[in-house]
Amino acid sequence: MMERLRQLMLTWILLILLLALEIGVSLLPLGRSARPLVLVPAVLMVAAVGMVFMEAGRGPEIVRLFAGASLLWLAILLGLGSLDPLTRAIYYVHPAAPNDALMSVAQ
Amino acid sequence: MSETSLTYEFQYSSAQHQAETAVSGMWLFLATEVLFFGALFLAWIYARHWNQAGFDMGAQQTSFVIGTANTVILITSSFVYSAGIAFITAGNSRRLIQFCVIAWLLGAAFLVLKFGIEWRDDFARHLFPGASFSIQGPLRSGAESFFVLYFFGTAIHGLHMVIGLALVSWIILRASRHDFSASYFTPPLVVGLYWSFVDMVWLILYPLIYLVGRGP
Repeated sequence: MMERLRQLMLTWILLILLLALEIGVSLLPLGRSARPLVLVPAVLMVAAVGMVFMEAGRGPEIVRLFAGASLLWLAILLGLGSLDPLTRAIYYVHPAAPNDALMSVAQ
Repeated sequence: MSETSLTYEFQYSSAQHQAETAVSGMWLFLATEVLFFGALFLAWIYARHWNQAGFDMGAQQTSFVIGTANTVILITSSFVYSAGIAFITAGNSRRLIQFCVIAWLLGAAFLVLKFGIEWRDDFARHLFPGASFSIQGPLRSGAESFFVLYFFGTAIHGLHMVIGLALVSWIILRASRHDFSASYFTPPLVVGLYWSFVDMVWLILYPLIYLVGRGP
């Protein structure tokens, strides 16, 4: 039991350090599009909670199947779902252009 | 431990089989929860992508101090609950109760900070989307999008916290009746999975709400 408590305490310290790193990364002068990099330490924190506090690596095999399947479907949801906003090219049309064309035709 | 604790239903081959099924069932439920919150994260990607300046302007109105304090509180609560599980595996029911009470108090502190202080301040500053929204001008729509996701996301997470507190209370009650022992601790284990999952969700919500939109 003492070994388990020690493991939990070390994980808590790791989580606090990762939180500090996360806040530190958020203070870097990143561009707006690069700011989601702040999420990298958060993903590591989630992994630490899952592996140590929830003991995802232990128990029956089906636990790992459910955990892996949830991550796979989340990746599909976020990956395919964000495909459109992240890849769509937007062409801005100058609002004065059609009016100018109409004016020249009228003259 | 009560005499009935190690009995099992007819469809299982052993008490261990029943316990493993309960743990697996909770993991399956949590897998559906991942997709539930995944939709919220996808909405965040969409909303921020189309109006980054306004969206980040909204994020800058949030309370960084309360958000960070709540993150430390939830990490600690999850750690304390897991330590309680470690004690019950050694048969120490009294320590399980004590650690569950601490985890419960930390969870309650999270809710007080989030809804009693932070939300109240947000409403007072007219940050709830609507006619009286305080941010005006070209950044308004992006900021409103942020606060729609902020209020919805934190409300849903808060609801999960309330359910978690009810479950931890149930564990405390049962532990005080000496229902758990070194050979039977499935309910605290399953509730612990849920409690840590709620912590996990917050670990993602925290940077989405408080950090990504807050540049130097």
